Amino acid sequence: MMNNQKKFSAVILGGGIAGISAALELARLGHEVALVEKTPFFGGRAANFCCKATDACQKCGACLVDDRLKALFQERRITLLPRAELTGCSRDNGLFRLVVQQQPEVINPEGCVDCGLCYEECPAADKGAILITAVTQNHPRYAVNPGACLYFRDGSCQVCQQICPPTARAIDLARPARTLEMTAAALVVATGYRPSDPRCRPHYGYGRLPQVIAGYELEEMLRNGTGPSARGKEAPRRVGFIQCVGSRDQEHPYCSQVCCAYTLRLARLLKHRWPEAEVTSFYMDLQETGRQSGQFQAEARREINMVRALPGDLHATPDGRVRLRYLEEDTGQPVAADFDLLVLSVGIGPGADNPALAEMLQAALTPDGFFQAADPAQRTQTSQPGLFLAGTAEGPRDIAGCISQAAAAARQVSQYVKKS
Amino acid sequence: MTIARPLDIILAHGPELSAGGLDYYKLGLWAAGQPNSRILSLNPCLPPEELERRLRAFLHADHPHTVLVAALDPHHRARHILGLLIEVMQVNPELISVVDLQEALGSPDPEACSIKAHHLIGMNASMITRAQPITTQELPVTSRVLVWGDSFAALKAAVDLADLGYPVIQAYPGPALAPLLPGAAPAQPLGAELQDLITRVQSHPAIQLRPQTFLTEVQGSAGNFRVRLQTDQEVREEAVGAMLLAPELRLVPGEAAAGAASHPRILTLPQLEDLLAAPEAAALLTPEADSPLRVAFLGGDSHPLALARTLSSAREVLARDNVQVMLFIRDAKVGAPGMEAALEQAQNSGLIVFKLPQLPSLALPDDRPRLTFFDPVMHGEESLACDLVVLDEVYRPASDNAALADWLHLFPGPGGFLQVDNVRFLPVITNRRGVYVVGAGRGLMDLDQARAETDAAILEVQQLLGRGASIAPKGRSVVDRGLCVLCLTCYRVCPHGAITWDNRAVINELACQGCGVCASQCPNDAIQIRNFTDDQVVAALETLDPRLTPRIIAFMCKNSAWEAYHAAMKQDQVNLPLGFTPLRMPCAGKIDIDYILKAFTYGADGVLVLGCHQDNCRSQEGNLHAQWRVERAQEMLAEAGVDPRRLVFKSLAANTPQDFLAAVASLAAVLGGLKAA
Repeated sequence: MMNNQKKFSAVILGGGIAGISAALELARLGHEVALVEKTPFFGGRAANFCCKATDACQKCGACLVDDRLKALFQERRITLLPRAELTGCSRDNGLFRLVVQQQPEVINPEGCVDCGLCYEECPAADKGAILITAVTQNHPRYAVNPGACLYFRDGSCQVCQQICPPTARAIDLARPARTLEMTAAALVVATGYRPSDPRCRPHYGYGRLPQVIAGYELEEMLRNGTGPSARGKEAPRRVGFIQCVGSRDQEHPYCSQVCCAYTLRLARLLKHRWPEAEVTSFYMDLQETGRQSGQFQAEARREINMVRALPGDLHATPDGRVRLRYLEEDTGQPVAADFDLLVLSVGIGPGADNPALAEMLQAALTPDGFFQAADPAQRTQTSQPGLFLAGTAEGPRDIAGCISQAAAAARQVSQYVKKS
Repeated sequence: MTIARPLDIILAHGPELSAGGLDYYKLGLWAAGQPNSRILSLNPCLPPEELERRLRAFLHADHPHTVLVAALDPHHRARHILGLLIEVMQVNPELISVVDLQEALGSPDPEACSIKAHHLIGMNASMITRAQPITTQELPVTSRVLVWGDSFAALKAAVDLADLGYPVIQAYPGPALAPLLPGAAPAQPLGAELQDLITRVQSHPAIQLRPQTFLTEVQGSAGNFRVRLQTDQEVREEAVGAMLLAPELRLVPGEAAAGAASHPRILTLPQLEDLLAAPEAAALLTPEADSPLRVAFLGGDSHPLALARTLSSAREVLARDNVQVMLFIRDAKVGAPGMEAALEQAQNSGLIVFKLPQLPSLALPDDRPRLTFFDPVMHGEESLACDLVVLDEVYRPASDNAALADWLHLFPGPGGFLQVDNVRFLPVITNRRGVYVVGAGRGLMDLDQARAETDAAILEVQQLLGRGASIAPKGRSVVDRGLCVLCLTCYRVCPHGAITWDNRAVINELACQGCGVCASQCPNDAIQIRNFTDDQVVAALETLDPRLTPRIIAFMCKNSAWEAYHAAMKQDQVNLPLGFTPLRMPCAGKIDIDYILKAFTYGADGVLVLGCHQDNCRSQEGNLHAQWRVERAQEMLAEAGVDPRRLVFKSLAANTPQDFLAAVASLAAVLGGLKAA
C-alpha cells in the first residue's frame, strides 16, 4: 500500500518469512511499520518451497509462508515497499534516518490482470527485463526490471506498454522511480540468505551436466508442477541426493542445519509420488530432522538408501545418466552407481548484499559473513541499540526458527520503541 | 438464487473483464435485473477520492448494508474499495461478500463465461443476504498467569510477565528452582546474567513461587481457567487467565549406559564433570607411569546440545598432561551455531573421533574397560583398552507431561513434549487458546531459542489478557438453547476445549476458534457458526443453473483448499468443469454430513471435500472429522444406490494448486465415465 507515511515505529528490511512475520507481529501490537523488499515480490525464498506431504504433513513449514503472505497483503498498518533498497542510513538522536530508493512501478496493480502478454512479447524477457513470480499471492505477478529493460537502457522499446490490453492499460514506462526519506525508531534486518553455490564442488558437475540440480531447484520444480516428470518426461527411476554441498567446508565452516531435513523430506516425497523410484542419500552425519527425528529417520531408512559416504567425482554415461563412485561403508570398496537425477543439497550462505548493507548500517558481520548478534544467547539484538536481526540474515535456521525469532524481534522492537 | 434481503452489488472492474471473455456490460445488465438489489459499477483504477465519492453516493448512511463485491482478483485489485467499505463506510466485514470472477473467465464460449459469473454472484448473494453481523464483546478475564516449570524459559516468562503487571504463580514439582542450561554441565556455576534472573524471580513481589506442586485439574477456558495446584500439605484452586508451560528437562543415561557394568573406571558424564571440578582429588585422572591416560567418551550424539556438553568435558581432559581422548559417536551432531567449529577445534587439540554405525561394546577383562568395535576406516574389528570410559546423558522431557497434557486437554506432543507436532501451532500456541508451550516444554533447544519462544508467548498473553478484559467476537458461535438437549457431544468433540455448560451447552467465544466441528456434529443442529450457517449452505446449494454441468460441489477448507483453488485459477489455461461450485468452509470440520447428502439431493453429480493434510489442520482434528463423515456418507450413498465414487475426500495444502486441479480432474473423469455408462 502506498501512502505518504514517513515516520515508522520500525522499518523491516527483507520481505521473506522472517520479515513478514516480524511485520505482522508489530502491526498486531499497533505499530506502523514499513516492509522494504528488494525484489518486486514478497515471500522470499521460502515462498518457492514445495509442500512435502506424503500421507501426512511432513512439517516443513512451507505452507506457513503462504499463510503469512495472505495476512500481509490484508494488514493495513504495514506499508509495503517492493522494488526498494536501502541507499542511506544515519542515526539522529537514536532515530534512524533512512533513504530508500524504489524502482518505478511500471505495472500498476489496479489495472493489471496478470494476463502475461507483456512477458510473452518482451524481447529481452530472457535477460530478465520482465521478472515474474510463481508466488501467486503477489499481484501483479509481473514486474519490469529497469536493470535489464531496453526502454530504461536506451528508450528503444515500448512493446509491453503497447501490448498491454487497452482494457487494462496497466503499464506506464514513464512512471518515475522514487527516493523515499523516512525515519524509524527501530530497524530490523531480515534480508535472508543466499544458497551456497552448487558450483563450489566443481567435480559434481553442476552447470555442466543437466542431470545435476540444486536442492532449491527441486523445490521450485515440485512446487510449480514442472517437476521431474512434467510434460511427458519420464519419472526419474534413480535419484541421488548429495549432502553438505557448501556446508561444513573451508569456505562455509558450519552446518547449515536445514539440509538433512529438507533432503529427507524431499526424498520421501519423491518415493511417495513415484514408488518405483530408487532414492539414495549420500551424507556425512545425519542431523536432527524435525521434532520426531528418531522416528522420522527410522521411517526414512526403510524407504531411502542412506549411504554414509560423499561421492568422489562423477561423469555422464552414454545412456544419459550420471555415474558416481563412493566408498561403501560395509566393504570399504569403491562402488559405482548410476542416477537419472542428482540433487545437490546446498546449504545456507550469507546474503550477497550483507557486506554493503552492514557498512551502511555500521553493523558487524561474523567471520562467516552473517550479521553479528551481540549475544549468542539472544540472537535478535545487535550491539547497536535499535538495530535488530531476524531470520537467516543472522545465520542458518529453518522456517520454524525464523518465525519464532521474528516474533521475539518484534517484541523487543516494541519494548525498545516504548522506551525511546 | 434467492436474495433474502436488500443487497448492494458492486461490480469492481473496468472493461478488462471483456478481455477474458466475460462481457462486462452484459454482466452489469444481468445484475441490475436481480430482485432486491442495487448495482454499482466501479472501476478500481479510479483515484481513491473518486472511489470514496461514488461509494458514499451509492451507500446511503441510514441503514446497515449488505454488500457483494465482484471483481477479478478482488483482494488485490479492489483493495482500496474494500478498505473504504470497512474503514470509512463502516460496513460490517461479515456482511461483505468478496467474489472472485477469475473462474468465470477463460472459457472459449462467452455464454459459458456469463452463466458461470451469474452463478458465482448469485450463489454468494444468497449466502451473504443470510449473514448476520458479528460484533465484539469485552469479556472480563483474570490477569493472573500460571507459569508451569522452573526452566530458564519459565523464569524469563515469570519475570517478564510480572514486570508487565500480570501477577504470576510459578509452580513446579521440585523443591527449589533448578533450571538447566542446555549444553552445559549441570554442576557448572551459572553466569551472572542467569544467576540474576533466578534472584529476580525469587524476590519479585508479583511472583508467587510454589515448589513441590502438581497440577491436578483444570476447568474453564481462555481468560478464566481454574487450576488445582496440589502440594503435600494442601490443595489450592487458583483462577488464572493464561498458562505458560515450560517444565524443565531431565537428564537420563544415554544408550551407551544400557547394560554397562558399574565400575570405578566407567564414569557417567556428571561423575566426570564432578571429578574435573575437583581434579586434585582425582587419582583416576592421573596417567600411570609413562603411558598416556586413555579416556573414551561414548555417545554424546543424541543432539547438538548433548555434543556440546560432551565436548566441554573432553576439552578439559585434553588440556591435561599426557592424555589420549577419544570420542565414539554415530553421527556428529553439529547442526547448531558454533558446533562445527567446536568439534574441529577439539580435533585439533587431539580429540580422536570414531564415527561408527553402532557404539562400541564395552567389557571389563582384567578390570580395565575394553571397547570392541568395527572401524570403518581400517575396515576391521578393533579392540581398545582404556583407562576411563565416560557414558553420555541425554535430555528428556519432564516425566509428568503426558498427565499434564491430559488434564489440560492438550493434544500430546512428540516424544513426551507438550505442543503437538503441527506447524499451524508454531511457534508457541496449542489447541487451547490461553495455553502456551515454550522452551523445555516444547523441546530441547538452546537458551537463545527458548528466550525467543518465551517472547512470542508473552506477546500472545498480552494479546489475550490485555488489561483485565479481552475482546472476543460476539455471535460467531451460537447455541440455540431451544434445540440443545445437553447431550454434550459438542463438549466432547471440541478440539479447543471451548465448550462448557449450564443447563445448555455454552460456548466461550474467547476460546472458540470457529472450526465448526461442534456445529456439524450436533445431532440436533443446535449450533450455528457464523457466517457458515446451515441455511446459508442450503441457499447456496439451491442456486441451480441446469446448464452448469457436470455439477461438482466442492466444500473447501479456507486454510488449504480455498487458497489452492485461487492459486490454481491464476495459472494459465486452467478451465474447471463448468458446473464446478466452490463453497468456502472455515475448517473441513464444519462440513456436516448433511451438507454432503443435501448436495446430492439438490442435484450434484459429484461432491469434493477438500481439507488440510493430516497433522496440518488448525484444529488438529477437523480434517479427520471430514474424512470420517465422507466415509460414512459413501456408505449411505451406496445403500441408496448412488455410486459412492461420486463423493471424494482429498487432503492438500494452500501451496499445492496442482493437487487441487488433480482432485477436480480425477472426479470429473469418474463422473464422465459414469455418465457414459
